[in-house]
Amino acid sequence: MSMTITLTINGSDRILACDPHESLRTVLRRAGYHSVRFGSDTGETGAAAVLVDGRLISSDVMLAVQADGHEIETVEGLAVPGQMHPIQQAFIDTGAIQSGYSTPAMILAAKALLAANPDPTQDDVRDALSGILDRETGYLRPVHAVLRIAAIMRGEEPDRIEVAFLDALVGADGPHHDRDALTAIAPRVVPSDDVPHTRVVGQPETKTDAIKLAKGNPAFTDDVDLAGTLIAKVLYSPHAHARIVSIDDDAARALPGVHAVLHYGNVERVRYASGGQSYPNPLPYDQVSFDNKVRFVGDRVAAVAADTEEIAQTAIGLIDVTYEVLPAVFDENDAIVDGAPVIHDEPDMEGAHDPSHNLVHHLKADTGDVEAGFAVADRVFEQTFRVHQVQQAPIEPHVAIAAWDSDERLVITSSTQVPFHVRRMVAPLLGIPVKQIRIIKPRIGGGFGVKQEMLIEDIVGHLTIVTGRPVRLELTREEEFVSSRTRHPQTITYKTGVDADGILTGQEMRIVANTGAYGTHGLTVQLVSGLRGLSSYNCPVKRFDCKVAYTNIPVPGAYRGYGAPQALFALEVHMEDIAASIGMDAIEFRRLNWTNVGDPLDIAPQLGEGDQDASVVPVVTSSGLEEAVLQGMRAVEWDRRDDASWKQPADRPNIRRGIGFAMAMHGTAIPGLDMGGASLKINDDGSFNLLVGATDLGTGSDTILAQIAAEVVGVSTNDVIVYSSDTDMTPFDVGAYASSTTYISGMAVKRAAEQVRDQICERAAIDLDVDAAVIEMYDNAAWAPDGRSVTLEAIALSTLHQERQHQIMANASYVSPESPPPYAAQFVEIEVDIDTGQVTVIRLVMAVDCGVPINPATASGQVEGGMVQALGYGHCEEMVYDEDGRMVNAAFGPYKIYRADEMPELEAILVQTMEASGPFGAKAIAEIPKDGVAPALRNAIADATGVRINDIPFTPERVWLALQDA
Amino acid sequence: MITKYHRPLALDDAIALAARSDAVIIAGGTTVNADPGRTPVVAVDLQALELSGIETDGESVRIGSMTRLADIVESALAPSVLRDLARRDAPNTIRNAATIGGTIGTADAESQLLTGLLAFGAIVTLAGADSTTTRPLKEILDDTQILRGTIITSVAIPSNGLAAADRTARTPMDQPIVMAVAHRDGDGAVVLAMAGVAPRPVIVEPDRIGDLDPPSDFRGSSRYRTQIASVLASRVLARVAVGK
Ligand SMILES: Cc1cc2nc3c(=O)[nH]c(=O)nc-3n(C[C@H](O)[C@H](O)[C@H](O)COP(=O)(O)OP(=O)(O)OC[C@H]3O[C@@H](n4cnc5c(N)ncnc54)[C@H](O)[C@@H]3O)c2cc1C
Ligand code: FES
Repeated sequence: MSMTITLTINGSDRILACDPHESLRTVLRRAGYHSVRFGSDTGETGAAAVLVDGRLISSDVMLAVQADGHEIETVEGLAVPGQMHPIQQAFIDTGAIQSGYSTPAMILAAKALLAANPDPTQDDVRDALSGILDRETGYLRPVHAVLRIAAIMRGEEPDRIEVAFLDALVGADGPHHDRDALTAIAPRVVPSDDVPHTRVVGQPETKTDAIKLAKGNPAFTDDVDLAGTLIAKVLYSPHAHARIVSIDDDAARALPGVHAVLHYGNVERVRYASGGQSYPNPLPYDQVSFDNKVRFVGDRVAAVAADTEEIAQTAIGLIDVTYEVLPAVFDENDAIVDGAPVIHDEPDMEGAHDPSHNLVHHLKADTGDVEAGFAVADRVFEQTFRVHQVQQAPIEPHVAIAAWDSDERLVITSSTQVPFHVRRMVAPLLGIPVKQIRIIKPRIGGGFGVKQEMLIEDIVGHLTIVTGRPVRLELTREEEFVSSRTRHPQTITYKTGVDADGILTGQEMRIVANTGAYGTHGLTVQLVSGLRGLSSYNCPVKRFDCKVAYTNIPVPGAYRGYGAPQALFALEVHMEDIAASIGMDAIEFRRLNWTNVGDPLDIAPQLGEGDQDASVVPVVTSSGLEEAVLQGMRAVEWDRRDDASWKQPADRPNIRRGIGFAMAMHGTAIPGLDMGGASLKINDDGSFNLLVGATDLGTGSDTILAQIAAEVVGVSTNDVIVYSSDTDMTPFDVGAYASSTTYISGMAVKRAAEQVRDQICERAAIDLDVDAAVIEMYDNAAWAPDGRSVTLEAIALSTLHQERQHQIMANASYVSPESPPPYAAQFVEIEVDIDTGQVTVIRLVMAVDCGVPINPATASGQVEGGMVQALGYGHCEEMVYDEDGRMVNAAFGPYKIYRADEMPELEAILVQTMEASGPFGAKAIAEIPKDGVAPALRNAIADATGVRINDIPFTPERVWLALQDA
Repeated sequence: MITKYHRPLALDDAIALAARSDAVIIAGGTTVNADPGRTPVVAVDLQALELSGIETDGESVRIGSMTRLADIVESALAPSVLRDLARRDAPNTIRNAATIGGTIGTADAESQLLTGLLAFGAIVTLAGADSTTTRPLKEILDDTQILRGTIITSVAIPSNGLAAADRTARTPMDQPIVMAVAHRDGDGAVVLAMAGVAPRPVIVEPDRIGDLDPPSDFRGSSRYRTQIASVLASRVLARVAVGK
């Protein structure tokens, strides 16, 4: 390093070595300031924002030398050990932290704002956060965290954050005033009488990992610093479709500092499917670590490990690849016709339906003769939709580090949602046994499905095996866009018969789905599209037909919602338009047909993934949909749809207003397949260690699992220390996907905790001289009916050290035979500028039945953040390619995700139902917020303008063109 | 890639360094550092020169080239339309570093602030090896080579007049697909400037919008941009005409 600079960091002078081109982020991270996080090199994520002379600046785009002589503040300087800065506390108390990857930057933004302006408006706060992108919270809670601490610092009473209980509207009459005093962030819960009383479950507890996240402690994969780590870089294909004729790596290998160059010529060819799914992984097996063919711009060609990133990057440039460029095909409908370029012509690929026609799967299901259903219909409607490709875009990109440990076992620390699947899947590729591999999942900076994949672990594994050194690979933002995973585009056609009363008589869904260059998740996402697309409404006969096509676009995979957002966009638009055509109210028409408690989910047995008995048709066991619809209508002021002067404001002649609705029904875990394990043990002081394989992505699942254990053993949440997840240390869990963690892993925790409770009661029964069955556990003690008690600490000390010694502990696991659906009512309020086609979103309201919310604060956060991601899907996000298949907008900005200073108002309402099969009555909530926003937005545009558009996203030109045609 | 770094203390030294063929001027650095490139360059950081500040003599407002966009947003001396455009040009984390000189240096096709400055008839002061000159911003945007070997020291705009801006974008704070700014000076002369209709922000004659041939991209085709340009132009022109 060629120069030294002097920075005052958090009040102390530091002399640091650097090169002139290095960013301030790079130098601060190297100096141990781990709270400064990598989101991109171009400054737009704000994850690396620090205070420079009191101003918040993205340290990605500031040179370290520019900062020479200046004062730097990072979050590390805010709190002394054991204490919390009041701003950090406000972020924790309001539930503003999900993954926490960008939380340090937000806290610094708040500090700078409040130093300049102790009395900020909401707009001031939104502006202060405008440079920090957040993919998780929807910004509502971070904004209110700042307003809260501002109020506290001014000596004022802050807004209430306790749960607000709303009166049920179903069956009630008369006016309700329970909304009058609502604050923006008080979680709203509509209680249900049949929910038993609990002490810890149902409370908006703060997250168990919040402190370390608020403080910016090293907690993420990128924060692992191993001596002698090599940096990996990957050479990606510049062609959408080409054969690799030869690779000359001599120059790259000769470069000093290069330790390995891997490609098809020197890595064994082992076929696999990269989707992180249960054994046996669904077909096709159409990938190898390095192939002699590339199938999209961004496909892997070679990988390098070198002493520094610069050397690795230079080495990549020195690899000389000769390609035979082949014709490419990008559209799913073009790909499956005769004569289209054949994307998988390798003889050893396994499990595709008809690779010579790029047809990976042809899925069919029906519940009878759908033509007969159409024949008895009064009217039959057919409509075709096109849904596009978007990316999960977590602020923390994929990052993994491999190293040999002292036992010569390969330890891979990875930002993954599926550590156990990764261990099993990577072993054959690396040629070492599963027992020689350990996968550690630290905190994750967002995942949303893109990390339900064995994506880069094989690369770092191969490189460590070859070099004997630790190897790190972190994707750049552009690489994250083009080389990781995305949402499947689809062409969807619905055909529906309706009788004279508005009852469905037959419904058919046909899909041509685009699974890109590889089939990962290509089967199961499309199965879910069919399942979700044909389950919301009762209908005597249904038919599903889906062709899944290979193309040369970057690879779709798992993305929160998993096929449902595509299906429900089409379905909820189709239902809206049918209602309009037959002159029925849009909600009334759906209500006539939607599934209620006791209704069969008749297509589910044919579209399941797990080990189910096909003859058993599941039925809906709980539904709060009617209540959710009424709550949402009230919150969004649905009646304004009938007010002409509201819809067309007199003083703004170019504006039309509208409100749209969509209903959503999702699943809760994959029945008969998803499995989670948990282990709970007592410590000397009566606290507990809870070990789970479940992978908290920032969603708060660790906290929820701690609450479940705490409820059962009678302690508070912070007496349960959660560790997740590490394949050596924790029980197996499939991982975080399919809305399964609360329901499946939660039930495993509950069962383990019940066994621990029984062991404690057995001992307490002796001490208290009563029957174990009458003992109750609460307040960290076991209680006899007469009020005598023995503390858990006393029981722990006694059982561990003194009498009848044994470790009180238990393991349990759980698989569910059912998948009870959560239901939701989604509303979107918008304005359309009819001269330009610009749509401005004013408000998103979702009322959701997720069973009993274990933690109403984290559940609300899931809904708020999920709605905003879903809004991106409907409104502004899209992956765009040039004619050669190169993505033209692989950066935030051109790829537009919402910022804090342009967010619509958000409201989540949790409608309780008691789902008997779930832990304490819980169903899932994580994915359903992704389902309804795009169709409700589209239906709002129709309400405002009369224009009916069947493709997303609703960019200004698309809406304008439709307005021109109208 | 930056291989050498200078932080000159005097303008003359900066000008001398800037004259080197491998020199790159760094103001905030938010554009320069985002795209380091592979060829070796020498960075000339202007932060130690006293080029920051906003002042007015009642007739015009002079903004030092190293004035940060955030300072323009906060300044009571700057016209409110320009303050809003400076805010819209970059989020808080960038705006706290990015400068008005750097914004001119990028000549960004979609910069709202540049479009505003064009409409206001901004005059840019350039310090070169032999002389200090003033050039209308329009001339610089028409031919950015004018900047070669010089340092922008300040930008001047008239303090009187009336302005209005409007835009169409995917979301409220997204970079606009098309945007328009109209400015009417004290004598009633109106200038219309637009972004999103040409490779740089341009001054447009209101009755010649149909002659524009905007470049297409995925956010807006050429035809769409032309159509929207006339909608936005008539809106901002109406607003400065009415005097709202
Ligand atoms: C995350 C992010 C988001 C952004 N969003 C937007 C947006 O929405 N809209 C938009 O229009 N822009 C946007 N920008 C661009 C931003 O506005 C520019 O980066 C900024 O204005 C450049 O100012 P700077 O001082 O940092 O320039 P620098 O990067 O320091 O310099 C820019 C150019 O000007 C030259 N230069 C600088 N100062 C002088 C001088 N005094 N004399 C001569 N030449 C000079 C430099 O050599 C360089 O060529 C964004 C940038 C980032 C990083
Ligand atoms: S902290 Fe907000 S995106 Fe992760």
